[in-house]
Amino acid sequence: MASAAPLEPPPEGVEARDIAERAEEALRSERTFLAAEMTVISPRLTAPRVVAFENWDDRPGRRSFIRISAPAKDADTTFLKLHPNLWMYVPRVERTMRIPPSMMLQSWMGSDFTNDDLVKESSSLDDYDHHLLGVDPSPEGHEGLRAYVVEYVPHEDAAVVWGRIVTWIEVEHGTPLRQEFYDEGGERLRLMEFGEIEEVDGRYYPRSWTMRPLDKEGHETRIHVREVRFDAAIEDSVFTKRNLTKRR
Amino acid sequence: MAWRNVWRNPRRTALTVAATVFAVVLVMVAVAMGAGTHEKMIEDTVRVNAGHVQVSGPGYRAKRTLEQYLHFDDEVVRRLVRAEGAIGVAPRITSFGLLSQDSATRGVAVVGVDPLREGSVTTLPGRVREGRFLAPEGFREILLGGRLARILSAGVGDEVLLYSIAYSMESAYELFRVVGILKLPEATMDRSLAVISLGDAQEFFVYGDRVSEIAILADDSDSVPVLASAVQRAVGERPAEVHTWRESMPELEQLILLDDAGMYVMLAVLVVVVGFGILNTILMAVLERKREFGVVLALGLKPRAIFTIVYLESLLLALVGLVIGLAIALPLILYLQAHPIALAGDAVEAMELFGIEPQATWKLKPLNPLGSVLTILGVAIVAALYPAAKASRARPVEALRSL
Repeated sequence: MASAAPLEPPPEGVEARDIAERAEEALRSERTFLAAEMTVISPRLTAPRVVAFENWDDRPGRRSFIRISAPAKDADTTFLKLHPNLWMYVPRVERTMRIPPSMMLQSWMGSDFTNDDLVKESSSLDDYDHHLLGVDPSPEGHEGLRAYVVEYVPHEDAAVVWGRIVTWIEVEHGTPLRQEFYDEGGERLRLMEFGEIEEVDGRYYPRSWTMRPLDKEGHETRIHVREVRFDAAIEDSVFTKRNLTKRR
Repeated sequence: MAWRNVWRNPRRTALTVAATVFAVVLVMVAVAMGAGTHEKMIEDTVRVNAGHVQVSGPGYRAKRTLEQYLHFDDEVVRRLVRAEGAIGVAPRITSFGLLSQDSATRGVAVVGVDPLREGSVTTLPGRVREGRFLAPEGFREILLGGRLARILSAGVGDEVLLYSIAYSMESAYELFRVVGILKLPEATMDRSLAVISLGDAQEFFVYGDRVSEIAILADDSDSVPVLASAVQRAVGERPAEVHTWRESMPELEQLILLDDAGMYVMLAVLVVVVGFGILNTILMAVLERKREFGVVLALGLKPRAIFTIVYLESLLLALVGLVIGLAIALPLILYLQAHPIALAGDAVEAMELFGIEPQATWKLKPLNPLGSVLTILGVAIVAALYPAAKASRARPVEALRSL
């Protein structure tokens, strides 16, 4: 673990699963809409690549819809997840492509996020066992706050490549602060840092999510959430294949 | 005197010489067959894969992503084509993508090849089972492995969607027209290989004049080390790594080493047997001539002189055998080298499937005659020691008494 200070022992009567639920709740309601910009930084690129998108999410229904709005070349490219399937529609060639489950962990739109990170095919609650490792009195990057350190260990049958994920969750409001992803050999492969925490509709919401693959030097992807609406009124018609091909 | 002695018993002499001739011919032909078979295996395997020598961007062999590349510009081509021992040069781009037709999608290995150059290194153009190979001026044409085509229910003439991430980190998607279905020996490849033209690949992956690797075919697997250093010189200061088939196909080298080991054990047994044959013939001769040796010893000849005479006789026989053996083996091997023997039987189909021509082939390498001759000469030298010593130890009194 990267944190410098030693962890304090976990307090009595606190369940790891409850903390994980609060972290999930801090980021998502039952139906959530968000509009965001994703910035991809890579040594290959002279200028960062920016992708703007909107995301409609139905957590209980395990459905998700994404529409790309920029750059112009990718505008109106859409993604629809109806558990366990994922489709992508490419307007320029007018084709819908089913993305097989084995491709869930491939890069999404050339970023350091995976398809799974975006469409949340795996469930941070149902696909993992949760263990409370302790309390970090001074989490890296959020030194004024205290955070529970929770280890997520995927179930055998979960479609997840990680050996485990260690998540720092702020004690008072349940905001996730940081996530470290380890492979099955115990090597740390990537790091997600949450920032710009603001109060939105009573939630303490991190507006920026920065993903860094640790095996690819100089690569980094940051998602900045411009707008988020919790408990949004989202029509069921959003989560249909017809909506894939509908233009703005 | 030794020379005259040799001709006193022609049948015995002929036997010893025949044993040596037999050994020389057998060893040389077997070694040449080993060399020929291995040459054929290497040749046929590199023509399925990536040639004898590959140049790639630094780190490509380990990672195989678009991040490892080298520039394939006119100057590199000109230098590589002229590299000593090179008879074919073929650039390629390898990456990964999703290929989709209707509701079926598969993850595929996307390979971009130069339609004009590919055939100079690999047999890929000859593996089209249906349709045709990529046309030099073709635009967004794609070849699919047979099993891949079946999984996607795609046939010649269909349009398939290829999706990947370009070098520029953008999503890349394009429709390609299926122009041919390939028959690939390896099931995994047949299920996952999609081939497009180098130009289309460079455009699709926004890759400029970059390529992943350049495959080079040598005129002969023996010239690979020379070719490898010529290639190294040709790429000069550019960041690149040069590999030979030994590094890119270590299993093949292992197989050849194992096969060689088996052959050498067999030949060692053969040589020892021949050695005992020579020893036996000479020893018999010595025993027969016991009286003779007794007499000459009694006349005052030194035992050392008898040793020398017997020893020289044995070596003479060996030399005669070696010369005759060489005279038979060399033309025989050269003939077999020029006229490989086609194999028949169950193994043939399997070999053909793996792209290996079912033939027994021979190849004469410079070290073969030298090694074989020296080995058998060495055996003769050792084998003659005992009879010669035995002869020199004959006691005059005993020898004469047995008259």
